[in-house]
Amino acid sequence: MSPSLTRILQRAAYAPWALLIACLMLASHSAHAVPAYARQTGNACADCHAGAYGPALTPYGMRFKLNGYTDTDGQGTKIPVAAQITGAHNVPARGDNTTQLSEVDVYLAGRISDHLGGFVKVETDNTGNDHYNTKLSNLDLRFVAKDLKVAGKDTIVGVSVNNSPGFDDPISSLPYASGLGPPAVSGTLLNLSSAHSLYNKVIGGSVYALYNNNWYGEVGTYNTMPTSVQDHLGFNPASDPGHISDTGYFRFAYMKDMKRQFFSAGVVALTTKRALPRNGPSDDITDLGYDLTYQFLGNRENIIQASYVNILEQRDYGSTPVVNGIVAKPNGNARDQTLSVTYTFKQSYALQVAHLISTGSQDAARYPPYGKPDSTANMITLYWTPFGKDESFTSIANLKLAATWYRFTRFNGASSNIFGAPPGALITDAKDLNAFTLSASLAF
Amino acid sequence: MTKARLARAARCALMTGMLCYGAGALPALAGDADAGKDVFKQECSECHSPREGKNKKGPSLFGIVGRNAGSISDYNYSDALKNAKWVWTEDKLHWYLSQPAKQANPGTKMKYSGLNDAKQLDDLISYLQSNH
Repeated sequence: MSPSLTRILQRAAYAPWALLIACLMLASHSAHAVPAYARQTGNACADCHAGAYGPALTPYGMRFKLNGYTDTDGQGTKIPVAAQITGAHNVPARGDNTTQLSEVDVYLAGRISDHLGGFVKVETDNTGNDHYNTKLSNLDLRFVAKDLKVAGKDTIVGVSVNNSPGFDDPISSLPYASGLGPPAVSGTLLNLSSAHSLYNKVIGGSVYALYNNNWYGEVGTYNTMPTSVQDHLGFNPASDPGHISDTGYFRFAYMKDMKRQFFSAGVVALTTKRALPRNGPSDDITDLGYDLTYQFLGNRENIIQASYVNILEQRDYGSTPVVNGIVAKPNGNARDQTLSVTYTFKQSYALQVAHLISTGSQDAARYPPYGKPDSTANMITLYWTPFGKDESFTSIANLKLAATWYRFTRFNGASSNIFGAPPGALITDAKDLNAFTLSASLAF
Repeated sequence: MTKARLARAARCALMTGMLCYGAGALPALAGDADAGKDVFKQECSECHSPREGKNKKGPSLFGIVGRNAGSISDYNYSDALKNAKWVWTEDKLHWYLSQPAKQANPGTKMKYSGLNDAKQLDDLISYLQSNH
């Protein structure tokens, strides 16, 4: 988690945009590194992650996830525990620099049997001034039936109980799985950078199947956890996604692993009724999206991973509040787009460039002062992971040293004076949200 | 030897080579071990390590050429491979890897669809031969 996130959460009621910016930083730091899986399988980190560090998956990593985290080297039971420690030096364009231990994670991750496995992340974040908050982050418990035959073709059927629709996706391009979504004033429910996203705050499950190694389908449903439960699990009530009901999650994708290359094309849908605040009227919300991915793996010396995700959210609002004498529109939409390209050399040196766009329909009452919620940002990350390969000092643990630049060219519908400050007041331009971060993460 | 005889011998050798190639019967050692290392990374390395004593989802392939099937003591083989009773010669590897594993050894745990590129297969086997 970004070290400034909780401070920003505390003032989110006054400046919700700041929360969203923090979420982008959160997303980029949210690497999932689970050495417990490496110990369980005998695999190196680099077998499942191109840069020997998560969360982006290689096709082999996708299969491990689809198999419910149950693959093993057969060398007896391994302790299914791993940890990650992250320190960061943040240099925002405006504001004070900080250097601190920013996050400590504990993972319970591994197989219980040939058919049962899981991933549980407990995350402790530095919320500023060396105060810490612990929360139940990601949860994905699976039952899987492998080696089935349907019409003579290999088939996997599984059930996942998880707390974020799409986190369990094998392709790992959707925002909840990739940890990357555009900073958004009015983002979609499937964008983890949205202020009231469902990420980690719902509980539900899905049934999924992979047919003939290529065709993936998933159907699921979710409910939000009560605010009291969210509070007990470490989440600030200000980020409550509201009460959701009649929720359906649908995913269908074609994926093709050609050993040296991989591509996939998929569609995703989420439909729900959301009451936010919980005692208010319900909005009818439907997300429809598609994603395309390509990986060049070759002999693993030079790897390119590219993905594009486009999610459109249609909203029929349950109420039309009047703000400053303007009546809000009864319906609207939002669109989140993420384009990410990563080049990895020798599974150790990587450059990731992401272009992030969030747009929405015009609504003067809901999106003051310009009536548009649009934002455009880039994230550029350069990192080095010395270990985690078969031939390195250790193949089952790693260090990640990263330099990341966040660049904003538009926010809240504008490039300059993005909050519409009156004459004489401090003006904030989109570029004032830029930040540079140096981070070190150790996973073991 | 006259120039004419040399030319005839060269033509004969070339034709023999072409016939062998046409029949898909290149000698197993015709491969390039360096190129085979890349093929190993592409086709095998996620499930098998080339290092001695390092098992992954599949057993170590260090010294595989000449080894009895199912013979690494600390790897949990399928019954199918334990009972295979064969030696991993270059020819056996060529046969095994050129088809789906479950077709070559019904009941095996190995999930591999086979390598149908003849040159890559020769290169791979040359690399495995050199890795001991």
